[in-house]
Order: sequence, then C-alpha cells, then structure tokens
Amino acid sequence: MSSEQDHLKETDTEARFEFKKEQRAAFKSEKGLTEETIRVISEDKDEPEWMLERRLRALRQFHEMPMPTDWPGQPDLSEVDVDEIVPYIRPDIETRGGAESWEDLPEEIKDTFDKLGIPEAEKNALSGVGAQYESEIVYQNMQEQWQEKGVVFMDMDRAVREHPEIVEEYFMTKCVPPSDNKFAALHGAVWSGGSFVYVPEGVTVEMPIQAYFRMNSEGMGQFEHTLIIAEENSEVHYIEGCSAPKYSAFNLHSGGVEVFVKEGAHVQYSTVQNWSKNTYNLNTKRAIVEKDGTMEWVSGSMGSKATMLYPCSILKGPGATDNHITIAFAGKGQNIDTGAKVYHNAPDTKSTIESKSISKDGGRTNYRGLVHIADGATNSSTSVECDALMFDNESTSDTMPYMEIEESKVDVAHEATVGKIGDEDVFYLQSRGLDDDDAKQMIVAGFIEPITEELPIEYAVELNRLIELEMEGSLG
Amino acid sequence: MSTQVHANLTEEQVREISDRLGEPEWLLETRLDALSALDDLPFPDVIHTPGRKWTDLADLDFESFVDPLTAAEEKDLVAPETEGVEVLPFAEAVDEHEALLKEYFGSVVDPETNYLTALSTALFSTGTVVYVPRGVTAEDVKIRTTMNSRSLFNYTLIVTEESSSVTILERQDSGEEAVEGDRYYSGLVEVVAGENAYVQYGSLQDLSEETYNYQLKRGTTDTYGTVNVVDCNIGSRLTKTSVEVALDGDASETKIVGAFFGHEDQHFDVDARVWHNAEHTTADLVTRGVVDDRARSVYEGVQHVGRDAWDTNSYQRENTLMLSDESEADASPKLIINNHDTEASHAATVGQVDAEDLFYMTSRGVHERLAKNMLVEGFFVPVLEEIAVDELREDVQSRIRDRLRARTK
Repeated sequence: MSSEQDHLKETDTEARFEFKKEQRAAFKSEKGLTEETIRVISEDKDEPEWMLERRLRALRQFHEMPMPTDWPGQPDLSEVDVDEIVPYIRPDIETRGGAESWEDLPEEIKDTFDKLGIPEAEKNALSGVGAQYESEIVYQNMQEQWQEKGVVFMDMDRAVREHPEIVEEYFMTKCVPPSDNKFAALHGAVWSGGSFVYVPEGVTVEMPIQAYFRMNSEGMGQFEHTLIIAEENSEVHYIEGCSAPKYSAFNLHSGGVEVFVKEGAHVQYSTVQNWSKNTYNLNTKRAIVEKDGTMEWVSGSMGSKATMLYPCSILKGPGATDNHITIAFAGKGQNIDTGAKVYHNAPDTKSTIESKSISKDGGRTNYRGLVHIADGATNSSTSVECDALMFDNESTSDTMPYMEIEESKVDVAHEATVGKIGDEDVFYLQSRGLDDDDAKQMIVAGFIEPITEELPIEYAVELNRLIELEMEGSLG
Repeated sequence: MSTQVHANLTEEQVREISDRLGEPEWLLETRLDALSALDDLPFPDVIHTPGRKWTDLADLDFESFVDPLTAAEEKDLVAPETEGVEVLPFAEAVDEHEALLKEYFGSVVDPETNYLTALSTALFSTGTVVYVPRGVTAEDVKIRTTMNSRSLFNYTLIVTEESSSVTILERQDSGEEAVEGDRYYSGLVEVVAGENAYVQYGSLQDLSEETYNYQLKRGTTDTYGTVNVVDCNIGSRLTKTSVEVALDGDASETKIVGAFFGHEDQHFDVDARVWHNAEHTTADLVTRGVVDDRARSVYEGVQHVGRDAWDTNSYQRENTLMLSDESEADASPKLIINNHDTEASHAATVGQVDAEDLFYMTSRGVHERLAKNMLVEGFFVPVLEEIAVDELREDVQSRIRDRLRARTK
C-alpha cells in the first residue's frame, strides 16, 4: 500500500469524523432516535439503499412498540431511557471508541484480564483497546483454508457491501424481523458490526469460527449483528468468544443473531458473555432449523446489570433438533433473566434444554422458557431441565417455564430444582482438607460441568476462571 | 367492558341484596366499595406468551349473563352434631355471629383483588359460614349448591380455632331447570386455619356446560396449621379457578391437589399458588388433568419462597394427558425463590396415553377402547389417592368414568 493511499485513507477517516461531529451538533436539540441519525449511520457505512430503507422501517417500528414492562418478575428496565439513546448513538470517538490504551481501562476490567492470565496482545484486543476498526478478530491463518472451501467469514458491515444478494435475502427478514420486539427494532435501526458466516452446501468447517466482540470504531458495537447461514449438510461451530466487557457510560447492548440451519446442516453457536456491571444486555437470538438440521446453543451469561436473553430455535422441518445448554451467574446487583424458546412446527422434532444458574450476594437469576408444540408437530419431544444453586439468603432464583401444547402425540417434560449449596458436600470436602472457598468452588465447577464440556478447552477454562473470580468477589 | 357491566349493575341492586340478607351497615359498605371499585380493577391475571393469550377473560360478555336479583339455588348443608361447630347459611351467620364475620370477612381474599372478586363481593347472595371452636374436631361438613338461575354468587368462610380440625366437602352443580343462554357462577372461599388447626377442604365443580365459572379459594395458616385443598373440575364451559395458600405461620403446611377432565369445547384455567412466608413450611402441589375433543387446559403453579422462609420444602407436579389431536394444553409451573435454605422442585409433563401400555393391555385381550379408559382412570390415581374424603374421591372417580364412557371415539 503506497503512502499516498495511506494518506488518503487517513484523510478520509479524518473527514468522516469531522463530519460526524458537525452532525452531532445538529442532533443535540432533538431527543430520541431520529431518521437523520439513521441516514448518517447508513451513509457512514456506505450502505445500499435497501439497507437504509430497512433501518428506517425498523426505526418506525421501534417508535411504535412499547417497552416490555409487563413480564412477571422481569428485570427493571426503567433506567433504560430510550430517549437518551441518541446522544450515545452519535459516537464520541475520543472517549467511547474506548480507552486509547490499556492503562485507561477501568481497574475492574484490567483485573479480570490479568487474572484470566490472558497475554498482553490478546488483552488489548479483547478489551477493545487499540486502533483496529473491525468488530471482531479473525484468526487469519484459519481464514485462508476456509476461503478455499467457499466459506465466508467477515465483518457484517463488509458483508452488506460484498455479498448484498445474500444479506438482502436473509438480513432481518425471515428470522428476526425488527417487529419481533422493541429491542430487535432498535437493533434493526442502529445495528453496526458483527459477523457474517456463510457455509456452502456439504462443507464442514472443522475448527470453530471465533469472534470477539468489542466496541468497534463506530462506537456502536453494542448493536452487532451476527448472520450465520449453513447450507444443506454443512457443519459449523461459531463461537462468540468472551465478549469484551464494556466499560463506557453507555450501558445498552442490543445485539441480534440470526442462524439459518438448512436441511441436514449442523450449527453450534457458543458464547461466553461477560459484560460490565452497568450494561443492560437485551438481545434477540434466533435460529430457523430445516429438515433434519441441528441447532445447538451453548451459552454462559456472566456480567451485566440486567440481561434479558432467550435464544430461540424454530424447528421448521421434520426431524429438526435443538439443544440448549445455558448457564447464568448473577452476583451482587445483577439480574440475569435468561432461558430458551423452542417452537416445534414440524413432526418428529426434538429439543432438549439444560439450564443451570447460580446466584450469589443478592444476585437474581431467572430461567424463563417457552416451548411451543404446534398442531401437527406429531411425535415431537422436548425435555427441559433447570437447576438453580443459591449461595446465600440475599439472592433470588426463579424458574418460569411456559409450555404450549397443541398436539397430542408428543412427549413433553419439564423439571426444575432449586437448592442451596449442600452443607454436607462442603463438609465432606473440608474434611478432606479443602478450605471453605475451595470446596464451594469445586462444587460449582461440578455443577456447571455440562456446559464446560461443550466448550473448547480455552473457553471452558475461561468460564471456570470467570466464575472463580466472581466467587472470590474480587471484582466487586 | 367494565363500564358495560357497570351500567347493568346499580347501587340499588346491591342495597337490595344486602337488605334481603339483613346485613349490618359495614357489610353493605364493603359491597358498595367493591361495586365502585369495579371500574378500576383488572380481570384476574392470565398468562400471555408471544401470539397467545392463554385464557381470554376480557372477552366474556358479563352483561349478557349477570343477573344479580334473580339468583336461585338450592343449598344443602350437612353439619356434624358436634358441640360448638357452626355451619350456617350466610344470612343466619350475619344475625348470629356478626363479630366473627366482621373479623374475617374479606381478610383472606381482599374484595378488590380483581374485577371478578369485587363483582362477587358486591353481588353475592348466598353463602356458608363454618366455624370450629378450639380443640374440636368436625367431620364431614357438606355444602351442596345447586344453581337454578342465570348467575349465582356464592361465598364460603371457614374459620378454625386453635387445635381444631375440620373436613369440608363443597359441591357446585346445576339444577334440572333449563336456563337459556350463558350462565355465570362465582365462588369465593376464605379459609382461616388457627394455630395447629387442620383444614381439609374439597371441592367438586360439576356445573352445566353453558356456565362460565370463576372461583378463588384462598387460605392462610397460623403456626403448625394445615390447609389442604382438593379442587376438582368437571363441568362448566370455561373455568378460571385459583387455589392459593399463604403459609403465614411457622411450620405450617399445605397440600393442593387438583384434578380436571375437559371434553368438547371446555376450557379450564387452573392455578395453584403457595406463598412460603414463614419458617419450616411445607407445600406439596399435585395436579393431574385430561383434555379430550377440543378441550383446552391452562395450568399455572407458583411456589413463592419469601426472604424469611427458612428451611422450606416445596414440591410441585403437574401432568396433563391429551386424548385428542384437537385438544390443547398449556402449563407453567413457576418457582420463585428468595431464600436459599430451600428445597424446591417442580415438574410438569404433557403427553398422550402411553403406546406401550396400550399395546400391552390389548395384547392381553383387553379391547382397545376399554384399555384406554382404564389407563386414563389409572392416570388419575396418584391424585385420587391424595383425597382423604371417601365421598369426594368416589364422586370424582365416577364422574371420570361417566365421561370416559360418553366418549364417542
């Protein structure tokens, strides 16, 4: 790349920043998300007209929809002032694109990474420090071999420009329409960054595809969009790796994940999320599973002030399968409201949901699940198992499954248990020489093993480490 | 909606009902307060999930079937001849035990809980008061209400003193007289269990299938008290019934048993809720139901463990059997746990008659239809076993048999 090109690039970037600042001044008088804001985002991204149209339509839907406030026992969203979103939408690059250097990061975040034993370079990437403007890090050496097979893995913004025909067909049309809920609509209006994964027919991607989310250069990384399309008989494991803890004042994360599992395909989507304790994490994640396809959701929800997240599978084709494995950990001041949704819309579909939650120091976890078996989904079966572990009396743990059965030839079972950490178990381990903390940690590690088993070793280790840190209470 | 009903309900009507029962001023005031609260009260909670309202109460056209002044019923009260036990029609209780009523009326079920409880409080014209003094055992109290009018509002109050014990069987059915169009039955039951008292309350609802039925049965326990409720639903067009027990005394207990059998286009919305508000409390919730034809069932079970409810044991099981393709079953067993010194679990299943069981029985020469009926009867056994009153158990069993025999396919 010539120095002239470099210069041009910089100039261009510089100009765009200037431009935004002007625009920001223009917005200041208006509260609430406006059409103008959306036009600027779209223009910044050099998007085709149809994407702008979609954003604007989503914006209209966002304004029309009410806040979800009538769910029993839901997290308090009163602090999420939609009208205040605007000032944040216009990114203040200097302070929001984050900390310029490692040193500028809040103690809590640095501490976490240090304790996780993550190398310096990785730390910078994970925490969003640095000058890279992509919203995820791609392991470059992997990418080449994927490309040979026709696998596409790129930044979602780029995919809009480079694969418009695919994106236009699938992006928030069939799976997660903006009309789904208020935050899906918000996401549709202001989305930015994320991953695009396309796996051609019959291709198996042996290594997991990994993406680390962090705030991108636009400062809107809280609205990243992930679109995964697995064509017939393909197989892929996508990992949204340890989502970077957010540390800005802006405290709304509203991502969107859409997964298309075509006939006979197999997709596993794994994520370990650890947002900062001032984040409202309100996501919409959904998969459409065709005939004989398999969708697996593996997720660990740590961090955040409040999370409302219910990954959903629509089992559309006969013989489609869904597996959910989730774990939630809520510490002090946290309300993790998470669960699973499965729609059995075809015969011979199967789903299993295994949910574990741990609450401690006044934290609140809730399993909220919906299993719907449509009329005609004969020989479908579902089994839901929830276990909650409570550490102390300030904590709360709820289980609210909803089962809607319109078909008689089915097998539906739900089971849940709640209990404290067993005194006898702790005593036994102590009598073998472990101290109280270690004993409890060991019990918790055993409790969450079904989740860690499903994750690649580095994530399993990380999840365990994160939980250990939470249990030490060292993160405050 | 509510304004429509209101237009059909007047203060004069309420005064007239109160006057007929010879009520004191304070009770009339309570009724009038409930009447004027109607406009602001919501219908009882129903579950909504995406694209689905589990029970649509707001669509009920009350105006067409609430007819407060023409209530007609036959009441059959059977009381044991035990010293001090009172089983009285409401009007009589008003005369003879005003202090008791003043203390307990509305103390367990707030009249303004929702629109339908307020409506009930304003308009009830019949009722029963059961009082069991300290240390007394009263067996086989029976209350049978036969509804002969378009609408009927019934009220039951059960008060037990320390270390007393009572077994009550209450039944609702419809008389032979034909009544045109939709009908409405509303029943409120308040149960006060004193210290170390034991209350076993069973209910069998077998109303005509043109009847919309709303019932709320709520109990509260003192230390070591027990309130057991059996709630069986066979009749009605639509039933919204809630059995709720607040375990307010240390070491108190409850067992809530439910059974229902829906056919044709019946809709049963059955709730069982328990609040563990004190230490060492135990709750056991068991419900089994069958849906056939186009019938629809909704089950909500809530186990709420309060912050101060140390050493709680709480269990819940719900099983629904579907006999037809057109039937539907919704279920939501909920655990809400605020104290970690808790052992709690819930389980729910929905399915059909086990194919292997059926195969086994037919291979032994049992005709398929008979085999299926036997399996359905067998399905209810775990619930029937929990019913301590023989008469109730036998009645439920025979109603289940009748219904199975009437099956057309």
